[in-house]
Amino acid sequence: MFMHVFGYRLKCLARDRETVFWTAVFPLILATMFHFAFGQLMKGNEAFSPVKTAVIDNDAYRRDSFFRQTLEMLSAPGENQMIELTVTDEQEARRLLEGGIVAGIITVGDAIGLTVSRSGIDQSILRAILDEYAHTSATVAGILAKNPAAAAGLLSRLGQRRSYTQQVSFSDAAPNTALNYFYALVAMTCLYGGFWGLRNTTDVQADLSPQGARRSAAPTRKLQVVVCDSAAALVVSLGEVLVLLAYLALALRVDFGNQLGYVLLTCVAGCVVGVSFGAFIGTMVRKSEGVKTAILTASSMAMSFLAGLMVVNMKDMIARKAPVLAYINPAALITDAFYSLYIFDSHRRFFLNIGLLFLISALMCILSVLRLRREKYASL
Amino acid sequence: MLVRVENLVKRYGNLLALDHFSLEVAEGEILGLLGPNGSGKTTTINCILSLLKYDKGVVEVFGKPMTPDAYDSKRNIGIVMQNVAVFQELRVDENIDYFCGMYVNDPKTRRRLVDEAIEFVGLGEFRKFTPRKLSGGLLRRLNIACGIAHKPRLLILDEPTVAVDPQSRNKILEGIRELNRQGTTVIYTSHYMEEVDHLCTRIVIMDKGRTLATGTKEELKSMINDGETISVELYMLQPDDVSQIRQLPHVARADYAENRLSVHYDGGQHNLLNLLDYLKSRDLLFGRVFSEQPTLNDVFLEITGRQLRD
Repeated sequence: MFMHVFGYRLKCLARDRETVFWTAVFPLILATMFHFAFGQLMKGNEAFSPVKTAVIDNDAYRRDSFFRQTLEMLSAPGENQMIELTVTDEQEARRLLEGGIVAGIITVGDAIGLTVSRSGIDQSILRAILDEYAHTSATVAGILAKNPAAAAGLLSRLGQRRSYTQQVSFSDAAPNTALNYFYALVAMTCLYGGFWGLRNTTDVQADLSPQGARRSAAPTRKLQVVVCDSAAALVVSLGEVLVLLAYLALALRVDFGNQLGYVLLTCVAGCVVGVSFGAFIGTMVRKSEGVKTAILTASSMAMSFLAGLMVVNMKDMIARKAPVLAYINPAALITDAFYSLYIFDSHRRFFLNIGLLFLISALMCILSVLRLRREKYASL
Repeated sequence: MLVRVENLVKRYGNLLALDHFSLEVAEGEILGLLGPNGSGKTTTINCILSLLKYDKGVVEVFGKPMTPDAYDSKRNIGIVMQNVAVFQELRVDENIDYFCGMYVNDPKTRRRLVDEAIEFVGLGEFRKFTPRKLSGGLLRRLNIACGIAHKPRLLILDEPTVAVDPQSRNKILEGIRELNRQGTTVIYTSHYMEEVDHLCTRIVIMDKGRTLATGTKEELKSMINDGETISVELYMLQPDDVSQIRQLPHVARADYAENRLSVHYDGGQHNLLNLLDYLKSRDLLFGRVFSEQPTLNDVFLEITGRQLRD
């Protein structure tokens, strides 16, 4: 009997094209859009292109060997190349600037000058380089004026950089807030499993659908039918989430860490909470199916929004300003479970999230079953 | 008795849907539950199936109290809902198999029953169709197949022919008669009096949640003081002639309007002959002549004073 009801329920749900679109295809479309919108953020740092710069080849420039060496060092090809230098006469330099080929013109005279035609990141970089050069050369000149004997040691240290802060990471993974968009998207898809839970409750209650009436008149225990239907909904919802997960991880290269078992556990917990949530709305709200669907859609989107689906800092803001909300919002728990797997070596926070998800699911299931157990209806 | 309903009371808020309604259904009969929309037919069915809570009364099926967990009784009941109760995503054969499987566990037996049900309702060439590809009539036949596939002892059909074309309707009614011939007891609700008239062996007329009359169709027709009605097409009938016709034996009422004479009798024999003799004696030329026996609608009109389809 279980396999009979379960098998046909699986067919019913999997062939429900409209719901499959919203619960499976729509998240894939969103994922693709996110990829194009946040793709660069995802890579952690944008590829840096050396700033194209012209320097006027005049006598002062040729005489200032220290500055010349500095520019050659900054324009030397390699990982640390900051600028791409063109040494030319003033007329050609102006032509390059006006043509937008170079970001700025460096002129060496009594002081070092920078000519730009507009402001931007490249221009700011050039200005920062020249400011630092001016500051360093003034400092060196000052020290040498007071203590000429320090020249040898000073010059050897000029090329060295020393950092006075230490960066400590929780794991080997680099923190990447853009991942939160994709984790929240998976959370939203899990909650969309609620549409299957909602449909199940409609199809099992005699006062909500003729199919429910026919099934209620049959010699089969309602609880048995509910269990079979829920299992089928869970399988369909989990299948959809796994397809999304595979698309994110394999096609869009979203990093879920390397703990596949725990990632799958999060998906299972997310789908359980999603299906339970739909069943909860379906049994507790005594309104039309349209109203229930609207409530389910709005609440899923609201929970996903609070988990950072649209504003990446939202999850952190909720965690700071209304921490209780973060603990009762299933979408936030799913998102945080993924993120804690990605960022932390310890699983304490992960299991807290998973435990809370199962607890919320259990509460919603118990309340739904208590409501569904009523075998007779006041009106049909 | 296969079904016994006694003093059933059901209220929807202030509305009294069933007012101490009683009903008995004997094995082997086709009982017609006839009444206008809102008379309480579907409420009665849902109470018999133990889907609805009721305020007072007794419902027994197969001699046992009917409760939601009376699975042995439910196993022998087939139900065809007023609204089509099938899954749009499942094919014809899958729908029938699904609902049959809630009654019959053995897959081999079920396959045979599904084939027989498909054959019975004439959906053989549509067995791989999904419901959304079926016409209204075919959909109703599928609805019936889902209710009868497990070969129930008691079949309850709640207005199964609503919005069905005449061809499909005849097919459905013939199928129900065949099921009854095979031993199935049928409760059939409808507000189509001609269906009940042709199909049912016993009829209960109900309105406002109460039984108004019970009996075979002959018994019901004999309850009202009404005989045949003869209609004659003729032109230029004088008022004096109408008055004379009203004096003929057993004439209860005679009216003339739009070149048509209608004469209602309260019984008697040779009424047609007497009327035609009178018309010939007056040299009145007449066209077509119709004779109609009283219908259930006449019975209903007589009992309730209103139309059945109100």
